[in-house]
Amino acid sequence: MSRLRLTVLSFALIMSFSVALAQVQVEYWTHEDPNRTALEEELIAQFHAEHPDIIVTRVTHPSNTLAQLILTAFAANRGPDIFNMETFNEYPYIVNQRVVPVDPVAAGFGSYDAFYDAYLDGMLDPVTVDGVPYGIPLELTNWAIFLNMNVFRDAGLDPLTDYPKTWEEMMEIADQLTVRDGEIITRRGFDFRYPYYLNFMVPMAQQLGGQLIGDDGESAIVNDEAWLRVLEYFREWGPHGRNLGGPTYANARALFNFDNDDIGMMESGQYQIARIANDNPDFLPGEGWMVVPFPVWEDAVEDLAGAYYGHYWMVNAQSSADEQEAAWKFIGTMAQFAEEFFARAGLLQASQEVLDSDTFKNHPYSDVFMADLGRAPAIYYGDASPQIRQVLQDAVEAVMLQNREPAEVLITMREGVERALRGEY
Amino acid sequence: MARSSTRLTVGTRRALWGWAFVVPALAFFGLFAFYPIVNAFVLSLHRKNVLSLQPPRFVGFQNYADLWNSAQFWNSWKATGIFTVSTAVPLVLVSLLLATLIVSRLRLQRFFQMALYTPAVIPGVVAAAIWLMLLDPRGIANQWVNFVLGVSGVDHKWLASPDMVRLSTVLVYFWGKLGFFTIIFIAGLGGIPTSVKEAARVDGATGWQLYRYITLPLLKPTTLLVSIMAMIFCMRTFSTQYLFTQSGAPREPINVVTLGIYTTAVRDYQIGLASAMSIVLLVVMFVLAFLQFRVSRTQDG
Repeated sequence: MSRLRLTVLSFALIMSFSVALAQVQVEYWTHEDPNRTALEEELIAQFHAEHPDIIVTRVTHPSNTLAQLILTAFAANRGPDIFNMETFNEYPYIVNQRVVPVDPVAAGFGSYDAFYDAYLDGMLDPVTVDGVPYGIPLELTNWAIFLNMNVFRDAGLDPLTDYPKTWEEMMEIADQLTVRDGEIITRRGFDFRYPYYLNFMVPMAQQLGGQLIGDDGESAIVNDEAWLRVLEYFREWGPHGRNLGGPTYANARALFNFDNDDIGMMESGQYQIARIANDNPDFLPGEGWMVVPFPVWEDAVEDLAGAYYGHYWMVNAQSSADEQEAAWKFIGTMAQFAEEFFARAGLLQASQEVLDSDTFKNHPYSDVFMADLGRAPAIYYGDASPQIRQVLQDAVEAVMLQNREPAEVLITMREGVERALRGEY
Repeated sequence: MARSSTRLTVGTRRALWGWAFVVPALAFFGLFAFYPIVNAFVLSLHRKNVLSLQPPRFVGFQNYADLWNSAQFWNSWKATGIFTVSTAVPLVLVSLLLATLIVSRLRLQRFFQMALYTPAVIPGVVAAAIWLMLLDPRGIANQWVNFVLGVSGVDHKWLASPDMVRLSTVLVYFWGKLGFFTIIFIAGLGGIPTSVKEAARVDGATGWQLYRYITLPLLKPTTLLVSIMAMIFCMRTFSTQYLFTQSGAPREPINVVTLGIYTTAVRDYQIGLASAMSIVLLVVMFVLAFLQFRVSRTQDG
């Protein structure tokens, strides 16, 4: 090898080593979503081109295991630089100081005032503690009822007029739509989205005047009558009642897109629309499926829809200052493409800009979702929200699958939630 | 003089070589088994939120006292006990029976061994996922049982009813581990000297007498090994119960201790309490294994 070649090679090696040293590596963990993956990978490539000093590595995990993987990583002080989860899972990271406040300058907002102004009122409340925001919205979701119009027509119903407006009607109509082979259900009229009880079960009780947590912050399951009605409803829904479905059947949301005559209605958010288009392009809005509002009880005392929840991008407090700055810069860049996120993945980042856009206004059933969002309570979030969700799950399983008396389950449920609030086992 | 003092005797040299071979295994065991146990015990004496960066707070044996007073923890032991007895006993008996049948066959021995062992190489989570499909209300399990019973449209609620979900976890585990224990019994049966059996035959022993008075007593060490392993395996069961509860099955009937440890640490963030549960499980397994040894020795005496 000539001396010149050796010099050039050494120089190139030194330069590449120096560039590698100057680059900031940022790891981003998120849940699987094919539509969003395609978009984010494009945005990451674009971001790399504009910021050659930052390398973002995107890692996806199934949504049902992401929370435990992130927790395990944080427990070992090896958490990712950026992550997102549902609000009720993220809140404990804020109170335990495992994430840093939003850096409005690095994220491109300039100031906290400008940051708050960019989003709808209240949308940053779940990630705001002592007036400081800890996350930037990736998606804000409320669930409405998706309805398979073919299943309705097959049962002799008109989906445009016969859709259920109340929970009482929901049970009757679901019964009409359900097809069974003996006891075995081959087509469910409707089924709940187990085990997300904070999203739909709590609002059902709230509609009747119930509260998950009392005003004093220590009492739980307030208003026995309301909660007993809800527990009774679930028992009636399950195999020991009218046998309309239950948590051991296949996830209704996963079946719906394929229009295989196995599910009539299910609960989901706007992102489902992009997934239906992806999974089954021939299954069309207004012809094959439609969306109707979240039902209320006939004697509801409050007109509430399903709870809204969010996924927020957060940044690890144990990442270095450079990594944190790079992370907020990257998140801020992603947040600038809110309209793209909505158009391609159906994810609403609740910014005023998206809501005013034609993309949003022309999107199927945006009006239904927005009307429901206007009457939606925020999902419960607190230090013990994952434990409380488990207590609600145990209660529904007890009445639905174990056929236990709602009155007896109510007592256990209240004790469980209050124990969780006190941080006891 | 200096040379003679550094010269090692043959015995010392052998001992050193012995240590050289044993030390890596000891180091491995110490690092990956002993250290975690000691660490878990130390942690069990502390209150520690797995998410918090605050140092653990020493609480002595308070976590153990909390467990003693916890109805949920006792329910976990009930679920573990039911599962262990319902699974370990049939596992030992059926694997012994199958091993005897396979050894007695002259042809296709390897095929039967392989067929039985196949489920053992499938990871527990994958096996449970396959079984979830079979146990779905519209799955093969309902169809097959209804065909056998000559009925139609009956939902046996494999994952929904408390008793059936217990039975389902037993079935999945039994299916997964049967081949493993059968192979151990086959190895044990192969180790019985043929000369002893031939002597018994010469003395006029029938096939049953040969099995009852020669094979079974000589197979006792293997039976003890299998029964202890089966018991410990069953008490450590996790993946089937975890996947079933994730798929909507009621948690209470199958909330075994390991599942309780997992939820306490990962859902409730209480790593100190979860460590205390692990230590209790370890002690119980150790005591039961010790008792089995003692009972076996007493019978020998």
